[in-house]
Amino acid sequence: METPRPMLEADGLTKRYEDGNLALDHVSFDVYPGQVYAMLGGNGAGKTTAINLFLNFIEPTDGEARVDGIATHKEPLKAKEKLAYVSENVMLYPNFTALQNLDFFARLGGNTKYSKDDYRQVLLRVGLEEEAHNRRLKGYSKGMRQKCGIAISILKNAPAILLDEPTSGLDPKAAVEFIRLLESLREEGKAILMSTHDIFRAKEVADVVGIMNEGNLVMQRSREELVGEDLEKLYVEYMTGYMDEVA
Amino acid sequence: MFATLFEKELKAILLSPKFVATFGVCSLLILLSVFIGVQEYKAGVDQYDTAMQLAEQEVREATSWWGVNNRAYRQPNPMQIFASGVNNDIGRLSNISTWTEVKLQQSAYLDNSLFAVFRFIDFTFIVQVVLSLFAILFTYNAINGERESGTLKLTFSNAVPRGQYMLAKFLGAWVGLVVPLLIPITLALLIVVVLQVPMTGVEWSKLLTLIGVSILYFTFFIMLGLLVSALTKRSTVSFLVLLVVWVLFVLILPRAATMAAGQIIEVPSVAEVESQKDRYRTDRWTAYGEERSAKWRERMEPAEGMNEEERTQFLEERRPQWMQEDDDDRQVMQEEIAEFERKVNEDLRNRKAEQERLAFVLSRFSPSSSYQLATMNLAGTNTTLKTRYEESMKAYRTAFAQFVEAKRIEERKKLMEQQRGQRRVMIFGGGEEALDVSELPRYEAPSHTFPEAFGPSVIDVGLLALFSVICFGGAFVSFLRYDVR
Repeated sequence: METPRPMLEADGLTKRYEDGNLALDHVSFDVYPGQVYAMLGGNGAGKTTAINLFLNFIEPTDGEARVDGIATHKEPLKAKEKLAYVSENVMLYPNFTALQNLDFFARLGGNTKYSKDDYRQVLLRVGLEEEAHNRRLKGYSKGMRQKCGIAISILKNAPAILLDEPTSGLDPKAAVEFIRLLESLREEGKAILMSTHDIFRAKEVADVVGIMNEGNLVMQRSREELVGEDLEKLYVEYMTGYMDEVA
Repeated sequence: MFATLFEKELKAILLSPKFVATFGVCSLLILLSVFIGVQEYKAGVDQYDTAMQLAEQEVREATSWWGVNNRAYRQPNPMQIFASGVNNDIGRLSNISTWTEVKLQQSAYLDNSLFAVFRFIDFTFIVQVVLSLFAILFTYNAINGERESGTLKLTFSNAVPRGQYMLAKFLGAWVGLVVPLLIPITLALLIVVVLQVPMTGVEWSKLLTLIGVSILYFTFFIMLGLLVSALTKRSTVSFLVLLVVWVLFVLILPRAATMAAGQIIEVPSVAEVESQKDRYRTDRWTAYGEERSAKWRERMEPAEGMNEEERTQFLEERRPQWMQEDDDDRQVMQEEIAEFERKVNEDLRNRKAEQERLAFVLSRFSPSSSYQLATMNLAGTNTTLKTRYEESMKAYRTAFAQFVEAKRIEERKKLMEQQRGQRRVMIFGGGEEALDVSELPRYEAPSHTFPEAFGPSVIDVGLLALFSVICFGGAFVSFLRYDVR
């Protein structure tokens, strides 16, 4: 049986900023179709930098980020066709309604055949009540905007999804609904890379968990390897251990 | 992709509260300005017609060519409704006579100084000041605002080419702002038609070109807004930068250029020039008077010792020739005075023109000045308006003076024949009958063709286009390297 090709590949990914700060130091990992990869780590660990490299918002100093085999810094437009993205704090056009925002971003994602009903269905799927669909976003809470952002990523129907702290701003009920949604997307065969602080959610949904600290991937374990392990304890151990090592 | 981005830009502008405010203010200002402009133009035309009739009546009622003077009036120009330029600052009439120089006097603002304090807000002023400010208001956060709000990141997580995005930003803002502005402009043109302003084909061409130049000027500020927005990360910074640039372009540079030119090239004041001319004129007339007295004493020397009758006969026989000689000498002197005045005026004009040229060159560093100069040139209300009218009035004065002088000689001959044999004669004066003025030359306003109007505007239109292209090029290059995070 042929080994499936990873949808997202970080291959020796390194980013050193102009001020000399090493944000990412030769980080390598793969995310396969139908897999959820959770990147755990504190602030400044390099999680968002890794996502930005996949989106080609910044260029790598060394190594490559690849989407379906396409190096993002070499062919960014081609790579982005296969990517959907939800940021930590989804900001959309405040003078547009949810439907208008969805329509714009769906068309940007190359999907021009969606109807208003399709948009409504997706919004309902992410848990946004119908009465809000035609309201301008300037009255939306952070959680509602987050749901819209997730709806946009679903509509793009890309094989890979990048989620930067997606549960930030969601209430517990919405966070649970979001996890169910991620599971269904995984079942559809999407490769999902999620950066998060939320160890509990990561453990619940992730197929692979990576712990990052100071630009390094200090631990990576699969769901199977984590069975019987206390992820929270592991996280603290790796973080402090790494810190001791650095010291 | 481009269509999606363009449509979004357009929609974002049309749905923003800023747009409603801009559209309302601009519509109100443009319509009000054109309506008031039309009313003022019509009042000007009425005044012009009445003044012309009065001047003609005065000429018709004269009984001697020695008392015939005329006045030439500057014809109201329909283009002043849109670009008043120096129209209200320069005189509206000049006395035309053989004795005085052509000089435009009685400007509208001199007659009613209140309007000089709160000057007329014409269409070009609205575009130059108000619309340029609105263009900045709409574009100062075009790029960095989207970065701050996070939408830029989300947009560029898709396969969006930056070039297309920038072009869509520009075209969206342009169409979103220019097209709605064409509504009040079209309504303003309708006002002109409905209120029956007599616009010729040439004037319509000038007006349409003026609107085109206004759009180009407005386009420059949209591109400038995009450039600064693409060069900065925070919208507060770009707004501040743009505000400073706007103040510099619209308010400071044009005035600073004029002041600098005034310091570099000095031009004598009107009082100095007038005093110089007056001194020369007085000296020449004094000398002429003294020469005439000496000449008459010399002429009458042979009559010394003659009796009264012989003296009268001696005088009668020679007087026409002597008077002719005096007249010829007077004419030579007057020509010399006129020549001197012409030289002084020419020198003044040359220095003024030199100063003006320098001021215009310096001020053209500001697109706002380029716009103002281009529109004034197109409307014919630029600084050459005065020269254009004065030159044509001078030509008219020459024709008028030649005609009147011939009539005066004719009248004097007739008078002398009538008075032959009388002891005391009148050399001036006429009869009781009104003069036949049917052949008297009539003043016609100088024409101002489209090439004459557009020719001098080409450099300013070119500069505006160049400024716009530079800004857009700069914005484009900056955005290609813009950090969208």
